[in-house]
Formats: sequence, C-alpha cells, structure tokens
Amino acid sequence: MKSKTSLPVSYRLAVTSRVLAAVVGGYLMASLASICLALWLPTSRADAVITGMMSSFVFYLLAVLWCFACRSAARAWFGVLLPSAAFATLAGVGLWMTRV
Amino acid sequence: MLLALLMCYAGFAALCLSTDRHHGELLHSRPTPRRRLGLRVAGWLLLTVSIWPAVAIAGWGQGLVEWCAVLMLSALLLVLLLPYRPRLALILAGVGLLASPVAAFATL
Amino acid sequence: MKEGFRQAMAWLHTWAGLIFGWLLFAIFLTGTLSYFKDEISHWMQPEVQARPLDDARSLTVAQTYLQQVAPTAARWFITLPDSRDPGLSVMWQDKVDPGKRGNFIQKTLDPVTGQAVQARESMGGEFFYRFHFQLQMPHPWGRWLSTIAAMVMFIALITGIITHKKIFKDFFTFRPRKGQRSWLDGHNAVGVLVLPFHLMITYSSLVIFMSMVMPAPILASYGNDTRAFFSEVFPNTNNAPASGQPGTLLPLVPMYEQARAQWAGGHVGRVAVNNPGDVNASVNVLRAGSDSVVHDFGSTVSFNGSTGELLRVSGGQSLPAAIGGSFYGLHMGHFAGPVLRWLYFICGLAGTAMIGTGLVIWLGKRQLKHLKSNVMPFELRLVEVLNIASMSGLMIAIAAFFWANRLLPVTFAERSDWEVQTFFIAWGLSLLHAILRRGRQGWVEQLSVGALLFIAIPLLNALTTSHHLGVSLATGDWAMAGFDLTSLASGIFLGWAAWKMRHRTVPAPKVERTRGLTLKQEAN
Repeated sequence: MKSKTSLPVSYRLAVTSRVLAAVVGGYLMASLASICLALWLPTSRADAVITGMMSSFVFYLLAVLWCFACRSAARAWFGVLLPSAAFATLAGVGLWMTRV
Repeated sequence: MLLALLMCYAGFAALCLSTDRHHGELLHSRPTPRRRLGLRVAGWLLLTVSIWPAVAIAGWGQGLVEWCAVLMLSALLLVLLLPYRPRLALILAGVGLLASPVAAFATL
Repeated sequence: MKEGFRQAMAWLHTWAGLIFGWLLFAIFLTGTLSYFKDEISHWMQPEVQARPLDDARSLTVAQTYLQQVAPTAARWFITLPDSRDPGLSVMWQDKVDPGKRGNFIQKTLDPVTGQAVQARESMGGEFFYRFHFQLQMPHPWGRWLSTIAAMVMFIALITGIITHKKIFKDFFTFRPRKGQRSWLDGHNAVGVLVLPFHLMITYSSLVIFMSMVMPAPILASYGNDTRAFFSEVFPNTNNAPASGQPGTLLPLVPMYEQARAQWAGGHVGRVAVNNPGDVNASVNVLRAGSDSVVHDFGSTVSFNGSTGELLRVSGGQSLPAAIGGSFYGLHMGHFAGPVLRWLYFICGLAGTAMIGTGLVIWLGKRQLKHLKSNVMPFELRLVEVLNIASMSGLMIAIAAFFWANRLLPVTFAERSDWEVQTFFIAWGLSLLHAILRRGRQGWVEQLSVGALLFIAIPLLNALTTSHHLGVSLATGDWAMAGFDLTSLASGIFLGWAAWKMRHRTVPAPKVERTRGLTLKQEAN
C-alpha cells in the first residue's frame, strides 16, 4: 500500500464497491443458496433448513473471495448477482412446488 | 493419548528430516533419495497409525478429537524446539519411538 | 486486485485481518480463558465448597428448596454439580401473564445442607465466557458483531492459506532472532500447525448462531411459523401447558434414575420442571453435554410431573442435526477431560498468538518505511495505539478483574458489577496510556504492569484468603493451585516480553533486506 502519494479516488471507489458487493451481495447470495438447499433437499424440513444454514457460510466465503479476486468492481457485482438470480429462480420454483 | 503423542512427534520429526533444508540443518548432509523416501514413508505411516491408539481407548468420537489435538501440538512442539535445541528435538523423537512399545503395553 | 489471484487474496487477508484483528484478539483470548471458566469461578468464589458428588442427594435438596421458595413458579431449573462445577444451581422463572416473560432468579445451593451458599457475589469465569460472544453489548448486538467477526476470521484464515505459497515447504520453518522474518515465521507456525483447530473453532462459531444470522431458510421453509422449526429441532420444548388445576409434584429422584437407565448410565446435566404446582406438570431430564463429542440438544427423557408417567424418550439425531451438534460440541469442549482441556487451551492461545503476531507484523512492515523520520503518520500511530491497548491492555484488564475480586469487600452488594467495571476501567486506562506514550515505551510499560499484576496474584490470594498455594497444593485443590500457577506463568511470560521489547535493537541497516519480506513477494 503506497503511503507517499495518496490513493486516487477511483481506486477507493472501486474498493468500496467490491466491499459492498462482497458484504451485501455475498450475504444475499448465501441466503438464496441456503433457501434453495432448504427447499430442494429430499430430507425432512428441519434437516433441510439446518443443512442450508450450515452450508451458507461456504457460499458467503466464495462470494467474498470472488469479489476481490476478479478483475473489476463491475465483475464483482456481476459474479455475485448472477448466481443470486439463479438461486432465486430455483428457490421460486421450489416455493411454487410446495404451494401446488 | 501418550502413545499417540509419541508416534505423532516421531512421525513429524521423520517428515521434517525428509526435507533438504532441515536435514541439512540437523544432520549436516543432504539426504539421499532413498533416505528421503524412507523418512517420508516412515513419517506418514507413524502419523496414520497413531490414530489407532487414540481411538482404541476413547472410541471414535473422543478418540479422533484427541488424535487431532495431539497431532497439532506435537507439530508445534517440534517446530518451536527445532531452532533452539535441534539435538534435543531429535533425541526426543528417538526416545519417543523407543518408549512407544512400553507405552503401548501400559495403556492398551 | 489487478495483480493476480494470490496478490488479491494477500490484500484481503491483510486488511480483513487488521480491521477485525483487535476485536478477534479479545474474542480469542477471553474465549480461550472460558475453557477453564469453572476453575476461574472456583478461584473467584473460594467459599463454594466442592462436596463429594451425590446426584440423588443434590436433587432432593434442590427440590425441597424450590418447593419452599418458588412453589408457584412457571419453571424450575436444577443444574447438578459435576467434577468441575461444585455448585448446585437452582433457577426459577416467575409465573406471569401469558405472553410475558417472567424474571429468572438463580441461586447456588450447598448440595449437602440445602442452604443458599454464602459466597461472594461474582460472575467468575462466566464473565469471560459471556464476553467472548456478547461483547458486553445489549442483546442481540454483541452476538451479531461477534458472529460478523467470526465470518471475517473465516475469510482471513482461507485467504491466509491461499497466500501462504510455501505452506508445505515451510511447514517446519521457524527462524528466531531475525526480526520481521521471525514474526512472520511465528505467525505462520501458530497458524498452519494448529489450522484444524482454527478452522473448527471459527466455522463452529458461525454454526452456533446460524439461526440468528442466516434465518432465510427458516422463513422460506416455515413461513411465519418459525416456532414450528424450533420445536422440531429442540423437541424438549414441547410441553403440556398448565391446566390451572393444582397438583403435587412427585419426587424427582426416581425420574432421574429412569432417565439414566434409558441412557445406559449416561449422566444427567439438568432437570427442568414446567408448572411444578400444576396437575400437568412436566419434568424434562436433560443429558449432560459432557457425555459425548456430538452435542445432542434434544437428548431428553420427559415425564408427567404429578403421575410420574414416562412421556417421551428423545430419539436419535438425524445426520444434519448430528453435524450441527458436532460443531457445537467441538466448540464448547464440554466432553474434554483435564488433559484435553489443557490442549484446547493451548490451541486457543495459539489462535490468539496468530492474531496478535499478525497485528504486529502489519504495523512492523509499514513502520520500516518511516524509520528515518521520527514522526509516524496518523494511520500507523492509530494502529500502534490500538495494538498496544487491545493486547497488553486487555491482559492488564484481565489481571485487574482478578485483583478486584480479591480486594472488593466480600459483603459488598454490587461487587459483581464492580469487578466487571474494574475490567473495563483498566482497559480504558491502558488505551489512554497507549495514546500518551511513545510506541515502544507504551509496550514495555504495559507489559511490565501486566507482568507485575499477574505475578502478584498468588501473593494476593495468600494475603486475602486462606486458599493460597501452600494450602491448595497440600489438599489437592488443583483448580485453585492451577489458577495461581498459571497466573504466575503468565506474569513471567509478560515480564520476558517486556524485557525483550526493552532490549530490542532497531534494525536500521536491515531495511533493504527486509523489503524482501513483504507479503507481496511471498505471494510471488
């Protein structure tokens, strides 16, 4: 980290964006992934929920790692929101199936 | 737990010796490929077999936990001992190995 | 982030580690102390005597007491004494209007006389236990913050593993007396060699509070009826409601024995009685957590309190419940005997040291660039102050907590609160001191004060109680003696650290060489 010259604003904005993508987007993705597990696992309801919750933190980890490993802040958001949308769709289908 | 500890410590010492750097530091020579292989095999074997005394006494649940604890702490002991008392570190491994059958008789 | 995967992970490791490092150090240190919370409580309340364990007598004594003192309570809880916790704890919840939560009142009884123990009021080791996940914040903010810290810890662990390129090559490497290199070697050693523990403790802490921080699946699967989820997972909360008709509660001891028979000799941890004065009274006999590594939350035998009829024996755990129970059980370590408990403690100290060395390295690396000028930029000075206050300051606070326990009058009513306040006042003062003193002086002075405070604890004990080392070693009171001896050892360690700090030579000409030690090049 350079300390002689102060960091450009664009850099700071990019980092902030990645942090938000990781913290907020990551939580969203982890929650949606765990909902999918809870709705789709063939075990009892309580067991599926427990499994979903326990696994959610791994999804969160993967989201966070992605947000800082990818090449731009935009990719960070994309890489988190796309799987989230996929999980949301799966979850939606799952919910619809339980109602039907 | 004692037998598992002795075996884990000896196992880690063997694995440590099988690396060029530590073999050079401790025995002042480069290990031959045969010796390196022998030490590696012995090391891994000791580490794996050390699960048995831990589990035999305490059952699988408690036994595995005890084995993990002993594994971590024997490694820590070796690594902290190596730079300060390298000869003692090796001697402990040797003594541990020799004492293992005694410990086995006593506990199993 | 544009420089490559390892670089990015190194960046994340460094910053996540710094921002949450001070909090995580406190969590790890107080959590590590919690493994001996019963022993700490014993030292802090020496008046509670350990009696030979007799569950039947304890249970009878407790039931008699509760029948006299709280016959109309909504719930009774009886926690039986065990080898580590000699107190017979009874607790009851007042009966109030439906929908409202009655107050809980707790008393510690002497298991032989049945009288409330007259011991000095103190939180004992419970203070460290509660602090490490509640952080002295109002419910539920502390738990949220500590769980967020746990998630950051998880990220720091994984990014640390990714960044440590030579994790196998350098597995046995520790080179002391080489300045920053040694600190990094040390950080890697306590990190990698104890990695299974660190990963287990971190992930399990997430699992423990997962219902609170990740409720989404519960809501998606159960909708508004979240109670249904908790009843399924914790079946011993399904109890018959009060009928309104008075009834007499049968003696609890036969129910205790039946439960133990169901568990083939397993131990009873707690007995919970619902609506004791009612015809529909229910008695739940809960299995001791120390019976198995895999914690079974539901392991209960339930009875009808007034007829003695066996209502339900909880069944086996499903695999997900067993996995969750394993995380819980491994984290708590209730099942650990004395040797394993010490190993847990050492692993916890290793984790604490991993965090501490990380904080020191973060600052040390950047300080090298400012060696020429005597002025440190504000950000680095801030980190330095926080490092000192969160590490040596915390240790002073812990010692002050124990000092307060021995110095505050035994009969002083608010002494428990004041013990806790002393802890925070001492911590606050150390922060102030760190702000006012230059870096190295701050460290040396605080480490010295900490050393003196800890070394003097056995002496303080001898001067203020009759349970000093001479007595405790002679009578085999290992908890009491162990506490004094561990305090002494801690004090000696802090003294050694202060001495090393004082005589450390500032490595001016080594600036060029140490450039090669940056994490950046490690990742390359």
